[in-house]
Formats: sequence, structure tokens, C-alpha cells
Amino acid sequence: MLFRILSKDHVPDLVRGLATEYEVIGPVAKEDKFVFAPIADASQLRLDYDTTLLPPKRWFLPNEERLLKFDLADETVTGEGIVAPPRVLFGLHACDVHALQLMDKVFLTGTVDPYYEARRAATVVIGVSCIPDGECFCNAFDAGEVHRGFDMFLTDIGDSYYVSLGSVRGAEILDRYVETSQVDAEDVAKFQRVSRAFVESFSLDVDATQLPVLMDAKYDDPIWEEFGEKCLSCGACSIVCPTCYCFDVVDRISPDGKSGERVRTWDSCQFKDFAAVAHGQNFRGTRASRVRYRYYHKQLGHLTKYKRVLCVGCGRCARACPTGITPAAVIGALQKGAVQ
Amino acid sequence: MSGHEEGHVCSCATPYHPWQARITSIIDLTEKEKLFELRIIDADVRENFTFDSGQFIELSLFGVGEAPVSISSAPSKQGFIELCVRNSGDVTGALHRKQCGDVVGLRGPYGRGFPFEEMKGHDILLVAGGLGIAPLKSLINHIHDERHEFGTVTILYGSRNPSEVLFRQQFDMWKHRDDFNLILTVDQPDETWDGEVGLVTKLFDRIDVNPDNTYGAICGPPVMYKYVIEEMRKKQMDVDRIYVSFERRMKCGVGKCGHCGVGHQYACTDGPVFSYWEAMNLQGAI
Repeated sequence: MLFRILSKDHVPDLVRGLATEYEVIGPVAKEDKFVFAPIADASQLRLDYDTTLLPPKRWFLPNEERLLKFDLADETVTGEGIVAPPRVLFGLHACDVHALQLMDKVFLTGTVDPYYEARRAATVVIGVSCIPDGECFCNAFDAGEVHRGFDMFLTDIGDSYYVSLGSVRGAEILDRYVETSQVDAEDVAKFQRVSRAFVESFSLDVDATQLPVLMDAKYDDPIWEEFGEKCLSCGACSIVCPTCYCFDVVDRISPDGKSGERVRTWDSCQFKDFAAVAHGQNFRGTRASRVRYRYYHKQLGHLTKYKRVLCVGCGRCARACPTGITPAAVIGALQKGAVQ
Repeated sequence: MSGHEEGHVCSCATPYHPWQARITSIIDLTEKEKLFELRIIDADVRENFTFDSGQFIELSLFGVGEAPVSISSAPSKQGFIELCVRNSGDVTGALHRKQCGDVVGLRGPYGRGFPFEEMKGHDILLVAGGLGIAPLKSLINHIHDERHEFGTVTILYGSRNPSEVLFRQQFDMWKHRDDFNLILTVDQPDETWDGEVGLVTKLFDRIDVNPDNTYGAICGPPVMYKYVIEEMRKKQMDVDRIYVSFERRMKCGVGKCGHCGVGHQYACTDGPVFSYWEAMNLQGAI
């Protein structure tokens, strides 16, 4: 891999340069939290953010998206053109870059989803290093380091960023818009120091040992009933999850009843009717069965199909759950045989 | 395209874009179920539309939505597909209100069907309960079309009562054929019923199965699978020669939307037909 050193003083130059050709999205402050939002001015970009409320998935899989329009009078159906503006996602943490690659597996293999594909191709991904907080556990799922899936990745080494170049596009962008310098031995030593400090800074212990096996072996464990009792089926965990991709497809008719549209919207396996079929049959009618399914799919289902578990340890679901059903609690209960 | 098929053809640019199909025939089968024959309007699409027994399509009623429906006709019947549909939801209800000549949308076919080629050369035991006959009907018709390729063919079909027996006219005629051993049963007989009475599992006392040479296929209400499989296992049939077809909420049909998750797999792309060995490994499937 090729590397450069980018002075922190020069980051605004890069943002302004990018803004001439791309819509730049990055972490910005919202009250005392952060969100990914369009960057109107380089000073808004907060590369020192801890986490964002919502993951960056909406820039690839919008929370609502029209698939087609139809005219009920003359029975015509028109496909919706795919809009994929040139865009930069500036400041994804390693977990979110991993999450994007997991989404890629779903939407770009088998039947390719052309909406996702177009947006992914049109989007430059710039990662940035982070400092884990008390809910982070990317280390448990090998998502703390990332070596592909980005155009460039910025590791904070003090006054400057140690830039890993992940693509031709990333290298060209950096050359075009901003002044950088070559990496020297001292920079490498700094990079090693911050990387070591990162690895040693996790406070949460999530033990992923043999989790895929435990999902089957403890399928009927009483812990699922206990978590089911607590779950409100609000779906917050899926909405904030960078790897939850499930969607619903619904038709909407215009007020005059003459035309309409088919849209897909984010959905959650935690909602009551998610697995319901006709004649009143619901394959996951209880909250316990739905909580279990979410973990089962992430830790075993996705692994079986795509060779990696569907969790990057970002901790957003832990922060969002109103009743404290956190991965650390659930996985801890599975490992220890009881809800702690 | 011939002149009278003037429908508006869509470009089908994305995997979610349905083709338009005309309803060419509607047959009332029971009070709740109708058999719809559909013809895809675009001639190129129609000619290239091939499927396996056990696969399904996503049926579109524009303004109402989409629903997965298994195909009941045989792959050998070209140019048309038949759907046996119960009026049980928004989309199926809207379909039931359609007339012959009306246009609906469809896309597919999706999923993995029955292993027809693998089944050739073997005896066949098909067990259906209620509307579960719908996907099996495709397989039955396909076997019928290539009857010489198979050994004995036994069909056990259970319904709640005589008025709910689907395809009854055809099955009444088949009762006298010696190349299909067709046994119908109902839970609640009436004075017109001269067939068997009781659950479909009861019929296993009446049949001989050569376990070394038999493929089984099952489709019915969720509660039925366990008991039918038990009977098949009592007949010493192998777990990987028993096939089951599952109904789930396939919404996108292409393994993206997540609604049809069954165990660690998706019914839409990994199923809806699974071998019993596979199904045993799907938590919560049976």
C-alpha cells in the first residue's frame, strides 16, 4: 500500500477541493451528538467525532426510495431512473468501512441491486481513525483495522494524518487538491504507537468465542425469553445498525387514485409482522423469537452465506436500545449461560 | 408482438421491475381459490420465461403491492403460467377482483424448485395438505408430461372438507388411472364424499414405499410437515430424498429484503424447496 502524510492544517483545502466536484458528506455536530450530513463549510467537518447516531448506510440505501411509478388508468409502469450523484463520504471509522463491505456482499453479489451499485461506484470513501468509547467492540469482530474498501484512510498521528491510499481514485484526489509529504521512519513509528494505543483502549469485553456454534447450540436457551421480555420491538437497533439492510416494498396511490409509486423503505426484523404470511401465520410472532433471529442471522446466517458475521461492533445498537439489550449483554449471557 | 396484445411494455431495467401479464383465464376452484392463467405480454420475455416446478413469482397488483405465488402449471406448458391463489390478503384479494383480459404484473421465476432431473428414474411420493397442492401441482403435471421417466407415482392429498378440494375435477378423473396412485382424504366428509376420511398421515397405512428408490415431496400448512416426515421416516426414506416447500414472506424474491429468512437461509434464494436434511438444519423451519 502507498502512504502519504497530510498535515491537519491542510484538511480544509482537501474538503474545499473535493466540494468543487463532489457532494461532501461527513460527521458534523448535532447538539451533543454527531451525524453524517452534507458539509457546507470545511470547518463543519468533525473528524474527532466519537460515533454518529445513524450509520452512513442511507447514502447507499436511502431510508425511502422509489422503485417505479405506475399509471392505473392506462396501465403503464415506468422504472425510476437511478440517481447517483458524485459524492464523498469523508470520515468513516473502520467499523463503518467494514459495514459497507458487508453491504456490498448483499447488494452486489447474486442479483445485483443497481441502485446500490450506482451509488457505491459514485461515492468516494475516506476513512478516519478513531478512539473507542465504552460501547465499542469492533475488536471482537475483527473490524478495528481496515485494509481495503476505502479510497483513502486517515490515521491521526498528532499534527497530521498518516494516509493509506486504497485506490487510484483516492491517490489522484489527494494529489489534485492538497499538498502532502512522503512518509518517513518517524511517521511510521507514530503510526505504530497510535495503532497500539487503539488496540489497548477497549474497555468493553465482548467474547465472540464460538458464537456461530452457540447460536445453534443455545437456540432454545431461556435467555431469549428474558431478552424478549425486555424488548419493545421498536426496531431502533436495526435502524442504527450499519449492516442491517432489510427493506419493505410498498405501493402508494396518489390522492386522485389515478397513479402511484412503489417504494422501498427500511424495515426491521424486530417489527411484529416482518415474517408474517397470509392466513394469520407469523413465523416470528413473539418478541423473543425476533430478538433471537436478529442475533442468529448476524452471527450465523450471514456467516454461512457470505463468510463473515454481520456485526462490526460499532456499538450503535447498544447506545440506541431503550431497554439495554446490548450485544455485550446478549453475547455475555450466551457465553456465561445466564442474563447478567 | 401480435396485434391484439397491445399492452405497454416496460423496460425491466431493474430486478424489481415487473413485466406485464394478461389474465387469459380464470377458473373458480373453490369458494376461496381461483386458478388464474397468465400470459406475459412482451413476446421476447414470454418466450424466454422458463422455470422449474416449485419456483415462485412475485405477483404485482399496481397500487396494492406484491406477493409471492408459486407456479401451478408445468414448465412444459409454454407461453402461459397458472397460479392457484387463495383470496387471503390485499394482493390476492385484488387479484380475485380482476377479470379475464385484465393486466397484472409479475417478475421471476425465483428460488430453487424440486430436483426434477434427480428425481427421474425413481418412485415418487407426493404429499399435499390444503393449498399446499399449488406448487406440487406443477410437479405433478410435469411428471405427467414425462411419465415414462418415473417409477410408481403416489399422490396423497388432504383437505379439510370436500368443498375445499382443489383441482377436484381433474383428480376425480385421475382416480381411475393406474399410472398415478392418487388418494384424496378430507377431515370432515359430507354425503357426496366417497374418498378417505381423516388426516393425510393416515393414508401411509395404505401405501407401499420402496425406501431405496423413492423421492418424497411435501407441501402444506406449517403444522403438517413434522407429522408427514415422521411417516416417511417410518417408511425408511432417506432424509436427503424428502423435499419440503416452505411458504415464507418473500418480498423482493432476490435475497435482499430479508423478510423470508428461515433459519440461517432465505426461502427466496436458497429455497423455497429444501431437502429434509437441509430443513433439519434450519432452526425454526419445521
